[in-house]
Amino acid sequence: MLATFVITWRETIEAALIIGILLAYLRKIGHQHEFRYIFGGALLAVLASGLFAGASSLATRLVEGIGEELFDALILLAAVSVLTYMVVWMHHNAKEIKGELLSKADQALARHQLWALGTLAFVGVFREGVETVLFLWGLFLQAGPVADMTWQVTGGLVGVAVGIVMAWLFFKGFGHLDLRPFFKVTGILLLFISAGMLSSAGGRLIAAGLLPPLVEPLWDSSWLLSERSLVGSLVAGLFGYRSHPSLLELLLYVGYFPLVLIWLRRQHHDLAQ
Amino acid sequence: MALHRENGADGVTRASGRIAVWRGGVCGVAAVLWWFVAVAPVWADQELALTIRNHQFEPSEVRATAGTPILLKVTNADTAPEEFESTALNREQLIRAGHTITIRLPALKPGTYEFFGEFNPQTATGRLIVK
Repeated sequence: MLATFVITWRETIEAALIIGILLAYLRKIGHQHEFRYIFGGALLAVLASGLFAGASSLATRLVEGIGEELFDALILLAAVSVLTYMVVWMHHNAKEIKGELLSKADQALARHQLWALGTLAFVGVFREGVETVLFLWGLFLQAGPVADMTWQVTGGLVGVAVGIVMAWLFFKGFGHLDLRPFFKVTGILLLFISAGMLSSAGGRLIAAGLLPPLVEPLWDSSWLLSERSLVGSLVAGLFGYRSHPSLLELLLYVGYFPLVLIWLRRQHHDLAQ
Repeated sequence: MALHRENGADGVTRASGRIAVWRGGVCGVAAVLWWFVAVAPVWADQELALTIRNHQFEPSEVRATAGTPILLKVTNADTAPEEFESTALNREQLIRAGHTITIRLPALKPGTYEFFGEFNPQTATGRLIVK
């Protein structure tokens, strides 16, 4: 039961963090009436995950082999684009805020920004959704003592439920921060999540044989932090930690930050003109 | 009049910015295409096969030679999906019931690389021994 719980909980925690931040962000800037974009995106992702996981063998054959890896990479790259875009406009919002101790601002949000938030909610949930649905479905199919299976399925479902509760806790927790620290903390968290996704996308493309790993593995840090440990699995799920990374994944991870900084600075420059 | 001139200058900067973005995009696409045809390996040198049955790897130990890339074909003969995972090999790939996936590995150094099925980590374990 504990094993199945840990798997689904780990799969849902990243989505929980993203959804929690999105909801807290909307409330911070006085747009709680737009929560439906977030819930809509997340709900649609759950449905899409179910559909994709249960797709007929014809559909899975279409994306089989390198197709599935390529598909994963595209989802990840879409998530990176929307996340980066969001961090840039959050940074811009933070600049406009005058009072240091303000806890709430009333700021205009363009329609395309709302759609971006909805898309982010969708991608955040869909990214691990297919795998979670397949895993839970596999538990149902597994042969074995009925009582044992019931415990395993319960563990899996509790993991998902705890993930949802965590989204709410993140929402509450970030909601207590004042505006400035809110933008700073969530912005940095989102950047690290995004860098992890970019490096994972590279990993998928390496697995598909479309990109060279350059050097693989570059090092082995499993003696310090293993992905199979409690903390390691969290850091891996949230920030894309790998104990045996390839050089390409590392370059993508590290190279992402200066690129975002250049974009932020250019945007700042444009606004100043 | 002065305002008018400023607008004009701004327009020119924007247009040149757009051209730069286009050039960058074209170069990026060309680089990706180049990878496909000129750099990405078309075949690997060693092919190994594994089957997952009753949530166990068959065989649970495979051997490979060091220094040449490996293609690891994994077939899931169970009715439930499984995920091939190895932290040592830095790979994680989903295998639907009844399907086969190919795991591409670079040339490895001699050593023992453990792998497992993420959905059944207690029973589905195995290792790749490279010599």
